[in-house]
Amino acid sequence: MSNNLNNSAADNYFSLLGLSINFDVDKTKLTENYHEIQKSIHPDKFANASDLDRRLSVQKAAQINDALETLKNPIKRSIYLLSLYGIELGENDMSVDPAFLMEQMELRENLSEVNNTDDPLEELSNILDDVNARIKQSIGNLSQLFMKLLSDNESDDNAPLLKEAKEQVLKMQFLNRLQEECMNKEEDLADQL
Amino acid sequence: MALLQISEPGQTTAPHQHKLAIGIDLGTTNSLVASLRSGLAETIADENGQHLLPSVVQFQGKNETGYQTEVGYAAQQNASNDPMNTIASVKRYMGRGLDDIKKHSIYDFVIEEDSVVPRIRTVAGNVSAVEVSSEILKALKQRSEEALGGDLTGAVITVPAYFDDAQRQATKDAAKLAGLNVLRLINEPTAAAVAYGLDTGSEGIHVIYDLGGGTFDISILKLTKGIFEVLSTAGDSALGGDDLDHIITDWILDEAEINEPAPSLLRQILDVARQAKETLSEQTSCKLSVDLGEGKYWDSELSQQQFEKLIKPLIRKTLVPCRRALRDAGIENDEVQDVVMVGGSTRVPLVRQMVGEFFSTEPLIELDPDKVVAIGAARQADVLVGNKSDEDMLLLDVTPLSLGLETMGGLAEKVIHRNTTIPVARAQDFTTFKDGQTAMAIHVVQGERELISDCRSLARFELRGIPPMVAGAARIRVTFQIDADGLLSVSAREETSGVESSIQVKPSYGLSDGEIETMLKDSFSYAQDDIDARNLREKQVEASRVIEALNAAMDEDGEKLLSQEEQTQIRQAIDELAEISKGSDQRAIKLKIEAVDKVTAEFAQRRMDASINKALAGQSVDDID
Repeated sequence: MSNNLNNSAADNYFSLLGLSINFDVDKTKLTENYHEIQKSIHPDKFANASDLDRRLSVQKAAQINDALETLKNPIKRSIYLLSLYGIELGENDMSVDPAFLMEQMELRENLSEVNNTDDPLEELSNILDDVNARIKQSIGNLSQLFMKLLSDNESDDNAPLLKEAKEQVLKMQFLNRLQEECMNKEEDLADQL
Repeated sequence: MALLQISEPGQTTAPHQHKLAIGIDLGTTNSLVASLRSGLAETIADENGQHLLPSVVQFQGKNETGYQTEVGYAAQQNASNDPMNTIASVKRYMGRGLDDIKKHSIYDFVIEEDSVVPRIRTVAGNVSAVEVSSEILKALKQRSEEALGGDLTGAVITVPAYFDDAQRQATKDAAKLAGLNVLRLINEPTAAAVAYGLDTGSEGIHVIYDLGGGTFDISILKLTKGIFEVLSTAGDSALGGDDLDHIITDWILDEAEINEPAPSLLRQILDVARQAKETLSEQTSCKLSVDLGEGKYWDSELSQQQFEKLIKPLIRKTLVPCRRALRDAGIENDEVQDVVMVGGSTRVPLVRQMVGEFFSTEPLIELDPDKVVAIGAARQADVLVGNKSDEDMLLLDVTPLSLGLETMGGLAEKVIHRNTTIPVARAQDFTTFKDGQTAMAIHVVQGERELISDCRSLARFELRGIPPMVAGAARIRVTFQIDADGLLSVSAREETSGVESSIQVKPSYGLSDGEIETMLKDSFSYAQDDIDARNLREKQVEASRVIEALNAAMDEDGEKLLSQEEQTQIRQAIDELAEISKGSDQRAIKLKIEAVDKVTAEFAQRRMDASINKALAGQSVDDID
């Protein structure tokens, strides 16, 4: 079975923002291109135009904003790249290896016990560092995987690589949620000071 | 050498005529209006040289020509004598239900039959917050027309960044009632940034701390080459200088052992408290005196130290949103270049001190914190009407609160998250719960919490006519769109059958279109004839705008983007519209505009895409295929 990259769509988010399809994104160029496009199509440029132009400009600007948000964020970007290969992530997809899930449970347990330690903020910051390091590693892995996938687009059997990428994205989602919870907790603790 | 242009007889001679546009800061305590004159944005003073207009309206009665009112200083002076008819801080009631506003209000609120909007009982009848605000806007409109000497093309009105959809809609309704053409609602901190950013030209990360009379906003912006990009915003739409006054008022009531004060006494003590706050912003102590009636007085003194002890918890409360805004923006304290102080309440030294400590930087106070918002709004207004003074300036703002839908179990499912750049459109799919379900109730909410009951209810509508299917088989796509004013519209569509339903979200506490129409009619400035004339005029203006824009577009891109046949078709449609808009049938004009829209939709789309390509072509782009 092969999943071919659907790069025929002229209006994919990468080309829309003047970038080539890739996991690694040049952030400076992304922002510059985004700014230039908004300067030409933002509704503020059509404040005096006809209703039709104003409506269109709202739609276009919204699409460009969506493209930027998708490409800026590594998880959203990965999910989007997978969707270009025709792979959709299910709502409750949990196909992640058990060892990883064990680790997650441990981290969560540590997080829930933060309040009982001598210095909750310090403890929390250790956990957060750990989570951030894992996220960084995940991003590195994804970058490698997509590089292989994209450089070898003609290959008949990219299914294993895609499967690996999908699992990596699921892991990232776990880590991201954990990071979010850590930051919520940090906020709560700070507010109590 | 370029040839001079001469226009056809009877046509407008000045295509680049300077259009009159104003920026309005519709504040809780004070309001201001500003405009760009000879390239300089300035606030406009009244005939006595006063720039501030106290946001106070006294209703004196009503006759066949409408409400009789005093607005501003005159009304403020009458507040103690006529407290029930003199409405102050009305901004706090905009877009709000009865439960939200009863606290701390001396006014007599009623809910009329067939309406959800609380109204204040006055000698002039029951008035809604929208009508009170429109009186303030009318005064500012008149002031600017006199000063600028002409009709206004449009106005930019500022709202607190943390205003929700209902509060924004109410503000827009008030402007409509005042006869203003709203070019855009913009967020107050963003307006302040425009005023500061253009003056100093400083690039980088800026924090705007805006503590006004009744609202608190914090915005974090990134400034790059004329682009003001809001990274995050947070705040409290019911926290401001008024609350400082209330704290002092409570303290006075306590010290003077006054229980259940009469409205006029409470009004008097509130004034004493406000003056004390202002005095203590400059001096170390302040004498207080309250006239208890019957020749009795209560006299005391409040030290700055005591004052600061009283208000400190409130100021600390503003730091919680600051922390959240930093986090949402993904910015660390030390990346912040400077903190701009906006709003009269930032004159309180303790505010400056605590904010300075929090961001480890000396807050910026160069521009008058009262005027800076109106000045920024005037600059944006000037750009929007096309005077091209700041051609490269662009504001990219965000939505302050998450928007979502109620799902099974009273839970809120977020569709658009807070701090998403606007405009934004996002769709989410839902499905039916029961076999054969043919209708679906859609409940739109705004807020960050998981439970519906903790969020603000924005609107409810129903999607009917879903073909009966087994539970979970239908696919209902609900689309949220937030426009550049920050206003939401929602549509729902069953994907397998194409059944569609959409609403412009009319907030749960909002005025209905019918109510606004009635208010317009009731208002003396618009008799029925006037309304018809105005509607016709509006349609004609819209038609000429369409014609002008299309002609320009055809000249520029017609040859490039259209076939010969398409060009002929469009030219013909333009001519027909021009002919019909000379007549007085506003419905025919409306229909023809819609027809022209249809014929030219594809052209508009191609032009939009072409301009994106052009924008990208200017960049050092890698391989676009």
